[in-house]
Amino acid sequence: MKKIAVICLLVAAIAFMSFRARKTSLHFNVPVGWPKPVYDFRKNPLDKDKIALGRMLFYDPVLSKDSTISCNSCHAQFSAFTHVDHSLSHGINGRIGNRNSPVLVNLAWGNSFMWDGAVNHLDVQALAPMSNPLEMDEDIAHVVYKLQVGNRYPQLFYIAFADSTITGEHILKALSQFMLTLVSADSKYDKVKRGEASFTDAEAKGYTLFQKNCSSCHTEPLFTNGEYENNGLMVDETLNDIGRMKITHHPVDSLKFKVPTLRNIQYSAPYMHDGRFKTLSQVLNNYIMGIQQSPTLNPILKKGIYITTEQKAELIAFLYTLSDTAFIHDPAFSYPKDKLLLSEGKYNP
Amino acid sequence: MKIAVFIICILSSQLSVAQNKKSIVIHFYPSFHHQNIQLENTWYHLSANDSILFETFKCYISNISFYQNDSLVFKEKNSYHLLDASEVSTLQITIPLNASIAFNSLHFNIGIDSATNTAGALGGDMDPAKGMYWTWQSGYINLKLEGKSNLCTTHKHEFNFHLGGYMFPYCACQQVVLNTGETDDIAIEFPVDKFLEKIDLSKQNSMMIPGKEALELSKTIAGLVIIQKH
Repeated sequence: MKKIAVICLLVAAIAFMSFRARKTSLHFNVPVGWPKPVYDFRKNPLDKDKIALGRMLFYDPVLSKDSTISCNSCHAQFSAFTHVDHSLSHGINGRIGNRNSPVLVNLAWGNSFMWDGAVNHLDVQALAPMSNPLEMDEDIAHVVYKLQVGNRYPQLFYIAFADSTITGEHILKALSQFMLTLVSADSKYDKVKRGEASFTDAEAKGYTLFQKNCSSCHTEPLFTNGEYENNGLMVDETLNDIGRMKITHHPVDSLKFKVPTLRNIQYSAPYMHDGRFKTLSQVLNNYIMGIQQSPTLNPILKKGIYITTEQKAELIAFLYTLSDTAFIHDPAFSYPKDKLLLSEGKYNP
Repeated sequence: MKIAVFIICILSSQLSVAQNKKSIVIHFYPSFHHQNIQLENTWYHLSANDSILFETFKCYISNISFYQNDSLVFKEKNSYHLLDASEVSTLQITIPLNASIAFNSLHFNIGIDSATNTAGALGGDMDPAKGMYWTWQSGYINLKLEGKSNLCTTHKHEFNFHLGGYMFPYCACQQVVLNTGETDDIAIEFPVDKFLEKIDLSKQNSMMIPGKEALELSKTIAGLVIIQKH
């Protein structure tokens, strides 16, 4: 009797320890000099199986109503996880949304998401495009159903969460896990900061111009201050987008939009919340000559930005140093072709 | 042998704890003229000129706590419950309490507090897949009341009240305090008829966004919740 009890205890202890060993959380590396991430990893510790599951979900069109659109459709790796060449994001059946899809970069430091900050936590961000009738037009409860009745996902959820019963919570947390790994911190700018490279003369001059004119909103090292600003764009009367005010209902937030990061900006055209500018040159021209005065305009922009054509080129040269080729080619972020070639996205109830 | 004694000790201590517990059962009754509302198949009338059909009544109850006079005597941990009139079992919440705890009032929130609204993806009754989470904007829908009425000139004569909002100054989560007296069985009524009497369905029949109006409607509903008279 005693021997059996001891053996049972030993087996239980070994099983527990082996599970713990397999489930040891991955460490999230914060680049030197960067602030502490906003995301609370204690509530969703990084785990290789959850990241792998999140990556599959990210690339699987099963998340959309007719299984034609995945997260990747508007957030492709080669363009720093945005929708290159599309001013407004696309949805199922060729539907067109009303905002430009943002890059998915360094999301662990995001304090809010979407151009108007409508989403308050990375975990719940995916619900917005998933449910938007102009985008995926799907419902998270139906996604749960589709994944549960398919053959592939119950086992993957079991591996990741020790539970084959799929829930909205676990879908969203898995997606967060993958998106949290999308850290871009290896651009030439970063290498210069680490003492591994040097700016060219034009880049150095551009950096000085950037610090003088741009850095109050596009604050280093994330190249965003995480705030909402009115940067003096003319209102597009076909969209009539009031920005942050839609969420707060407060006039002081009229025409304010989330300050986007400038990291990988070389890859992420077109620019602005409605994708109105196709080139960085057009963006800078607007700051130099096109600022629209309004009560909520950023105070610094009220005075205007005055730079020469030569300085504009230098500024763009600096902005190109924020390109992270390792990031956009990192195989860890790419389409999981070994697992997802036969997508369950073709499931139709 | 020692292990067996240890297990017996644990089991007996658990048994002893169980014997010192009592269960407080809280029943929630969405009602119309003091009768439990039936979804989908019963038409109700506020006057001779109207007909009202209810299709959805869902509501979050959170932060349940018991007070003896003004002193907190018990607060439920992880206290989030989704009531759904289409699933009768959800309308009853059982709280295990130490038998020695006496209370005479019940406090709870209708809705979800601001901090929880910013806590990311949650599970159980708080799972966004439960259909009580806004997607175009973060935040839980505290209460859903949907149906049809000839008073509404909307598409299919529908009315839809999705009340929520967690951001200052429009945090729609409402605290309710009810004097229960000493009892193990608490019946709470949500008089939907009284709510509809306070608004004009012909003019106000849709609320799907947070804001001042959602806050006012949330206050109105919270102010109507009562202990059911037997």
